[in-house]
Amino acid sequence: MGRIIAVISGKGGVGKTTTSANVGLGIAMNEKKCVVVDFDIGQRNLDMILGLENRVVYDIVQVMDEEVKLKQALIKSKYSDNLFFLAASQTKDKTVLDSAKIKKFVTELSEEFEYVILDAPAGIESGYEHTIEFADSAIIVVNPEVSSIRDADRAIGILDSKSQKVKDGKEVLKYLIINRINPKMVQSGEMLASEDILDILNVPLVGKVPEDKGIIDASNQGKPIILDKNSPAGQAYSRISSRLCGENIEMMDVESIKEGFIDKIKGIFK
Amino acid sequence: MFSFFRKKSSANTAKDRLTIAIMSDRENNSYPFMDEMKAELIEVVKKYMGVKTIDIKKEVVDGVEALSIDVELDKK
Repeated sequence: MGRIIAVISGKGGVGKTTTSANVGLGIAMNEKKCVVVDFDIGQRNLDMILGLENRVVYDIVQVMDEEVKLKQALIKSKYSDNLFFLAASQTKDKTVLDSAKIKKFVTELSEEFEYVILDAPAGIESGYEHTIEFADSAIIVVNPEVSSIRDADRAIGILDSKSQKVKDGKEVLKYLIINRINPKMVQSGEMLASEDILDILNVPLVGKVPEDKGIIDASNQGKPIILDKNSPAGQAYSRISSRLCGENIEMMDVESIKEGFIDKIKGIFK
Repeated sequence: MFSFFRKKSSANTAKDRLTIAIMSDRENNSYPFMDEMKAELIEVVKKYMGVKTIDIKKEVVDGVEALSIDVELDKK
């Protein structure tokens, strides 16, 4: 049985879908068979980030309703033979989901794949609850900013009361990703530092991702930033993926990154 | 001049405000006995009609605590 990991945040727009795409691809690059599933019914987006929007034929609701077989709906990534993708339905709304169907669906996925990544919708409504229901772990994405942290705490609270694993008396594993860290602002005391966020949320950290202009460019092209070996965010996602695959990689001190001399010179000529 | 250096950074302000907000969020959202109560409520309603799920929420409005209970019935 593979692992089922929900990617959650509470607040929207903090990088949940970007994280799902990059971590999924990163895990696949670690030679593990991985599927990323867009659970944001009605607001499909992960297909764009993975550059697969033109290949979507069937969606997860059709698989759950047994209109099509899982194999027919799976789309192979252009970037790794180990990565597959399943699209959210764009036309239906999230009320179509029901627990029994979801359980059957994710169980089938976990028999087929070593890692099943579920990209949750923003918010803490039923669509979110359904995404976390049968997950054995969760990646929580936050930005160093008050509304994101507060909403993440609410989402964690629901995770700890509504997931099947918790109802069975077990614990859902949690991995915190602090995304969009601006090192300069942390150094000047204008942005919350990671330790502060960890103090408040009290969940284990799996990685810190610096703010990176390349993210927009990557999503423009449908090419996850992890493929850009020189990008700071891509490197961060790469380390996170390896950690999720069980490797012991030292946490990088993203906050104390200083703009290098060469970068400054380059900046002048830009 | 020194007051400039003594000024609290906005990150510290954020941490203090968040700590308080989250503490109050956490205590406002549930009672420790919520799961047990939910299970018992389901048993009670089941005696009379089919029940799919029960959702209990603790709500605090202007300092007054309220319990909101949603019972979703089984169609059959």
